[in-house]
Amino acid sequence: MSADARVLDVAYSRYDGPRSGRLGAIWSLARWSALRALGARRGWKAKLIPITLTLLAFAPALVILGLRALFGTSSFTRDLVKALPYASYSTVTAIIILVFSVVITPELVCPDRRDRTLSLYFSTAISRGDYVIGKILAALMPLLLVTLAPPLILYAGNLLFAVHPIGYLDSHLADLPRIIGSGIMIAAFYALVGLAISSLTGRRAFAVGGYLAFLIIPTIIGGVLAHALNERYLRLLAFAAAPIQAARGLYPGYTDRGHISAAVWAATSVELMVVAVIVLAIRYGRDEG
Amino acid sequence: MSQNGGGEPLVEIHGVTKRYGAIVALDDVSAALTERAVGLLGANGAGKSTLMRAILGLIKADAGSIRVLGIDASKPTWEIRRLLGYMPEHNSLPLGMTARDLVVHMGELRGLPRRVAVLRASEVLFQVGLEEERSRLIRTFSVGMKQRTNLAQAIVHSPGLVILDEPTNGLDPAGREEMLTLVRRLSAELGIAVVMSSHVLEDVARTCDSVIVLREGRVAATRTIDHAAAATQGDVQVRITGDPARFTQAATGLGLTVQGDGDGDGAWLLVRGKDAAGVLTGVRDAAVVAGVGLHELRPAGPTLEESLIGAIG
Repeated sequence: MSADARVLDVAYSRYDGPRSGRLGAIWSLARWSALRALGARRGWKAKLIPITLTLLAFAPALVILGLRALFGTSSFTRDLVKALPYASYSTVTAIIILVFSVVITPELVCPDRRDRTLSLYFSTAISRGDYVIGKILAALMPLLLVTLAPPLILYAGNLLFAVHPIGYLDSHLADLPRIIGSGIMIAAFYALVGLAISSLTGRRAFAVGGYLAFLIIPTIIGGVLAHALNERYLRLLAFAAAPIQAARGLYPGYTDRGHISAAVWAATSVELMVVAVIVLAIRYGRDEG
Repeated sequence: MSQNGGGEPLVEIHGVTKRYGAIVALDDVSAALTERAVGLLGANGAGKSTLMRAILGLIKADAGSIRVLGIDASKPTWEIRRLLGYMPEHNSLPLGMTARDLVVHMGELRGLPRRVAVLRASEVLFQVGLEEERSRLIRTFSVGMKQRTNLAQAIVHSPGLVILDEPTNGLDPAGREEMLTLVRRLSAELGIAVVMSSHVLEDVARTCDSVIVLREGRVAATRTIDHAAAATQGDVQVRITGDPARFTQAATGLGLTVQGDGDGDGAWLLVRGKDAAGVLTGVRDAAVVAGVGLHELRPAGPTLEESLIGAIG
């Protein structure tokens, strides 16, 4: 036995110290859920997809900033920066955001329903409403990692590599709230819609399938019918595109090939989010006795 | 019923009624839970789980009121729940988590700071005998280990009262024995008041100080379980195979008093003595001297089971 060895008393002891309230419990639920959805304290297979998708979301920003670091200020790098304006970042990574949300959101709620853990959670300091809030926060945190963090990194990098950083900040200051606003809008849409669809089943595979079907099938049908009937508003059935288009509307020079305004896309996004909140309220508001 | 440490009832239930459509799960239930360990006894569907869920504030009663640890259960239920522990009847553990992670997580959800939750998780997992298995996924656990994990998460935050819904359900005899020992320790050694439901009288008798019998949503009976009296009371009833007269003679010779209520094999005899040990030794020796067999031996008077059997239904 080493000289540092100690005999530890692991007897059960009373705890009379401070306890957090509802907010602490909601934050704890959100943090645990978000970390587990990203694969923390789970096997490497659970980590692989979220980490890969996160890296892919950062890839355009990292490639541009890497090339700028290599080639300095030149016409090539100036063209490079113009090739990926902040307004287009979420369009470029749209498929990554979609797949990421399909991976993350079912993981947040399906296991709780499958393992019947809800009664255990509701016996703690959190109510049904708190549970929903905690899970929405848990979905938002990882989603912001792919909707907000990459363009912010790009912005910070462009600022850093600018010949006159103060001048760049001055001329691009308005982009900062646009980046934050669009990142939050897209994350909120995918968080709410993903959670609402996932809340309908305890089977993760069904949730993934249902979520993909909800986003893809109407898009195809809407596209075909819009073309056949020459009715542009049928393109609004492209639910996955709605928050991306609405976010692009935050930037100047918005154009849409279907001639649908950003406000209409935003309204569609908001309507879907409201429906998602109603679904969540119904699914978790019931007294299950 | 004797009082708990503070004298205040742990739970006061007044005229609680809960209906699910046409089914009346609880019908005007009133009770004061004052003992450190109270058993809710009743057949399946008697209303035990519903009453426990009402105490926790998980369901709202249609009528009546419940006060838990002095707090109105219908008001800010989160305030009550972080002071209570709950072990649900059905397996409701997240199978993809380790026992340690679950217990830490539940501690945090019940208000413990993270560092404290981590420390206490180790303590309670040690107490329930899972210290070696704490890093294993719950899905790899046996039923008994899952139940012990379930118990650990219910007491990690140092609750004043823990509610255990059928804690021995699905356990094999060895697992049941371990669980009953743990449950008894909660109130007897760890200072946590217990409300436990069961449809097995023996489980309640071994772990609780009093019992409330529920039948069809109503309180059918309440009894105190006096462990000390049962252990020291000397009188016993014996049923022998052989000649009762010879047994009576032998027992009287050993200083015992015997009263019989029948002749021949199968007769019940009431044997009295100064203390429990003397009576049991005397009965054994008298049976040997008289050359009779002991068919059955039990404490004199009606057993807890006999006194409750009508109420249980």
